[in-house]
This record gives sequence, C-alpha cells and structure tokens, in this order.
Amino acid sequence: MTSAELRAEVEDFLYREARFADEFLLEEWEALLTDDFHYWVPAGRLEGDPSKQLAYLNDNRARVATRIRQLQTGKRLSQLPNSPMRRVISNIEIESTDDEEALVKANFVIYELAAQSSGELRVWPGQAQYRLERVEGNLRMSAKWIELVTAHAGQRNLTFLI
Amino acid sequence: MKVDYRELVHTDRVHGSLLHDPEIFADEMERIFVQGWVFVGHESEVKNDGDWVKRQLGNESVIMVRAENGEVNVLANRCSHRGTALCWEHKGNTAFFQCTYHNWRFGLDGGLRAVPFPDGYSKPKEDLGLDRAGQIASYRGFVFVNLDGSAGWIDEHLGPAGYELIDRLCEMSPSGTIDLSKGWIGHRVQSNWKLWPESDSDGYHVGFVHASMSASTDTYYDDVAVGADAVKSSRAVDYGRGHLELDWRPSYKKELSWLGVTRERVKEYYSALAQRVGNDLAEQMLWDGPPHAFLFPNLFLGETVIAIVEPVAPGEMIHHHTSVQFDGADEAFNERLLRQTEAAVGPASFITTDDAITAERIQAGVSGTDTSWSSTSRGWIDLSRGLHREEIDEDGVRSSDASDETTNRGFWYRYLDAMTGKGRH
Repeated sequence: MTSAELRAEVEDFLYREARFADEFLLEEWEALLTDDFHYWVPAGRLEGDPSKQLAYLNDNRARVATRIRQLQTGKRLSQLPNSPMRRVISNIEIESTDDEEALVKANFVIYELAAQSSGELRVWPGQAQYRLERVEGNLRMSAKWIELVTAHAGQRNLTFLI
Repeated sequence: MKVDYRELVHTDRVHGSLLHDPEIFADEMERIFVQGWVFVGHESEVKNDGDWVKRQLGNESVIMVRAENGEVNVLANRCSHRGTALCWEHKGNTAFFQCTYHNWRFGLDGGLRAVPFPDGYSKPKEDLGLDRAGQIASYRGFVFVNLDGSAGWIDEHLGPAGYELIDRLCEMSPSGTIDLSKGWIGHRVQSNWKLWPESDSDGYHVGFVHASMSASTDTYYDDVAVGADAVKSSRAVDYGRGHLELDWRPSYKKELSWLGVTRERVKEYYSALAQRVGNDLAEQMLWDGPPHAFLFPNLFLGETVIAIVEPVAPGEMIHHHTSVQFDGADEAFNERLLRQTEAAVGPASFITTDDAITAERIQAGVSGTDTSWSSTSRGWIDLSRGLHREEIDEDGVRSSDASDETTNRGFWYRYLDAMTGKGRH
C-alpha cells in the first residue's frame, strides 16, 4: 500500500470514528475498537505511565463497555438529552507505521452544547493520539489518548465520547 | 441591604435565594472562608522543603509550602508590595518566592528577604512580609487554616467527630498514614458551591440520579443506598458543627464491598493492615471501609476519595478530588484506588457527573428566586424529610434513615451559625 493510500484509509477511519462519537452511534463506535482498547484522558500531558496517575478517564476495554452501557440505559442524566455536538479534526500526522499498526496524531476541536442543563456552548480543543491496527483487513482502534489544551484547568462534564 | 439569614434558613426549609444571590455569596466568602476554619490541603502534597501548592480559599489565593524547618506555612499568594500573584502554576518547589514585578524576594515563611535598591525604604523589612493565615492546624496531615485568625481554636471547629472521621480513614492504611499527592482533578460545575456538601451527603437521591450506574454495572451503592431496605438500614448522621456522615456500615452485605473486590485480590493489603492493627480490628475494617462524610465547609471524605469544594461565583464552583493512597500498601492496591476514583468521581466519571447535572438543574430552578420572596412563601427548598423520626443521642448527634434529610439540615444549621454567629431558630 502506498503512503497516499494509507493516509486516505486512516483519514476515512478518523472521520468515521468522529462522526459516530458526535452522533452517539455507540454500537458503531464500539465496533471500531480492538479487544485490548485503551482510552485515556490525563489531567496533564500525554506522558508517563497511565496506570500510576489519576486521570479524567482511564478505561480498559471492560470499562469502556460499561461507559457505553451506561449511556444506553436511557437514564444517564448528564446525557439526557445527548449533547448536540460536532468536532473538527485536522493536522493529521501518521507518525509510524508497519503492516499491522499505525500511530496517528491529530488536532481536534469539539463544539458541544450543554443541552442537559445550562445551554452553554462548550469548546474542547486538544490533540488525539490513535493507535490503529489492521484486524481481518480493516482498521481498528486499539488506543485513543487525548491531551486537552485545558488539561490542567479542570473540566465541565465530559460524558460524551471524546 | 443587609441579609437576614434567620429569615432564610429554617429547620425544615431554606430559601432558594441562598443559592444564587451575589450579596449572600460575598457574605459567605468573608464569614465562612475568611473568618472560619477551612481545609486547605494535605501535608503529603508538600513532602520536601520548598514544595508548594497553590489553593483557592473563597476569594483568597494562598500558597501552602513546607519551609526549611519542616513546618507547613500557608501564605497569601500576593506580593506585599503591589499585590502581584507570586505563583500561577498549581505546584512547584522553590527556595524562595520572587515577585516578577519589582523582584521582591520572600522566604518560605513569608518573610521579606530582599528588595532591589533597598535604600528607598525606611520601613523595617519585618513589616513587609506576606500575609499569613491567622491560624493553622494539622491533623494526620490534613491542614486547616483560619485566614483572619478570629475563629476559635481548631478543636471547637472539628469537634470529636471531625477527628474521628479522619481517624477512621487513616486507620484503614497499613501504616496509619495516607498520601494525597496524586494531584487534584477539577470538576467545573455551573452551580452554587453549597449544592455539593448537600449532594455529597444526600442519601435520598442515589437510586434516582444514579440509576444509570446501577443499571450498567455492579456498585456497592446498590446495597447501601438504593431501595427502601437500604435507605432504612444505612444512617444519615449529623454530628453537629456541620460535620455529616452517610453511615453505610449497617448495610454492607459483604466485606470489602466499598472496594468492590474479594479478599483474594487484596491479600497483601490485608496482611499489612493486620500486622499493625491486629486481626480482629482488620477484619472489622474490611467490612466497615472508610467513612462517607463531609466536614464543614469544604472537605469531603468519600470513602477512598477526598474532595475539596471551591466556590467561584454564586452560580459557579469547582469540585476538586484526589485519590487516597495508603502508605505501606502494595502498589497494585493503590493503583486499584486510582482506578476506583476515576470511575466514581470527576468530569468523566460514572457517578458525580450526574450529581453535577443535578446541581446545574437546581441552579437553573432557583435562579429566579429573590430574598424578598421569603416573606411571601415563594421559592423555598423543603428539607423536612425525616424530621419526625430523627433521633438525638446524649452527645447531641442526630441520626435517621439514610434517605432522610438529617445531613442536609445539619449543613444548614452550621451555615446559619457561621452567617449569624448565633444558633438556629
């Protein structure tokens, strides 16, 4: 595969993953994950050993399943109704790649409306780092790590898929 | 206009205007956060000489720092010259604090050490140190301050229950000491700060606000706070002085319920604990777990989580939390506590996110109320649940079913004392 073909495939994947998250297509989003998926949003930079830190979010595959189940109960107050939201992804860099795995960085900005309470428009800027793996011919996500610009500053409710 | 708090706080109800009125907020910052005792931080956050952390106490930014003599000082984060903030990051280590405006330099005790071109000053340096907390007290590493020095001594504030609740947490540690140096995570909520002492110690809402948690995973809150049986066996306790507990101990159905594991998974922790306290006590502790308690006005002991309630504005606050780490416990055990904390508390957690949304909805609900409405019976918040069945023991401790508003009332009793300097009516 040429690097242009790979880039096109990675971009397609990232945009699809972003849309599934924005639209709360939870099953579709979950289907993009590998069985050992790691989801991490630290309260600082993306550095050090996640297991030794206290993070905003540090989900192994089982916990991300719980996260999705909780959203699916229809009783998740902080997502009733779901936040209307859209994210823009840019500055996509494919850092390293071999036949089986690609490490990708991208900047994002999410615009989220707090429709559940104050109606505030919330802006979430940051960088996402993805580890993508090829499983039975298709790309799957085995890690998504998020470094928020506001990581040190505390956050509003973050109960959507970032 | 002067607010008459006795018109707004009654035993069975409080007025909604208390949650958003700017004049009331300004009074609180003075009477509770300057004139009273508040929790500022834990000594384990500043282990070494020169370690400092920045904290916000009401309107006042302060620095908690360990000086060369090992003492912990709490200093105003404000140059005594022209008022410039000295620290703007969250924490650090330094030999001195230097203002970036005119390079005034202060020691770790707040004393003025040096100024450029000192011949311009005839005042003695001793008169130009940083403002310091008027009173400071530390118990098992928990540091409390009274900024203006006018409150009584710390024993009057904490009372026997305040000490005992801290003891019950620290004693769970194999060494008897805890560490709170994993960093604080801020949860920014568009609500009044007082909704969090209420939420953190409210046993009535768990089955409703947190229904999605119960429906999606096993949680010990199902045993202790969800359903009619649980809320009858657990206890809502008001120790007086605004110190409150939801006492889950009578409801736990198995040992280590509060940690969500079996003993097999924490064998090392158990044997380390038993080595210090003996088997009998260690057995009991595995059942009881650490307390779920609130110490007025800003400290939450949430089992293995510690949180600080920080007011920002009448309708804006930050709930800061960190994970308790037990000194002397094995690494895997302390990592388990980190993961448990992430699941339970904070902006992306499974539990307090729904408390946050509830607090924001209350804020929206009460935001139109006016203090003048108290005379026309509009805008009241009812807190009468369980008044008829509340028990009072010989020490004045009130308790009732966990779903009763004994804890909520306890907060407001203390609040009224703080705001008026007198008792309730």
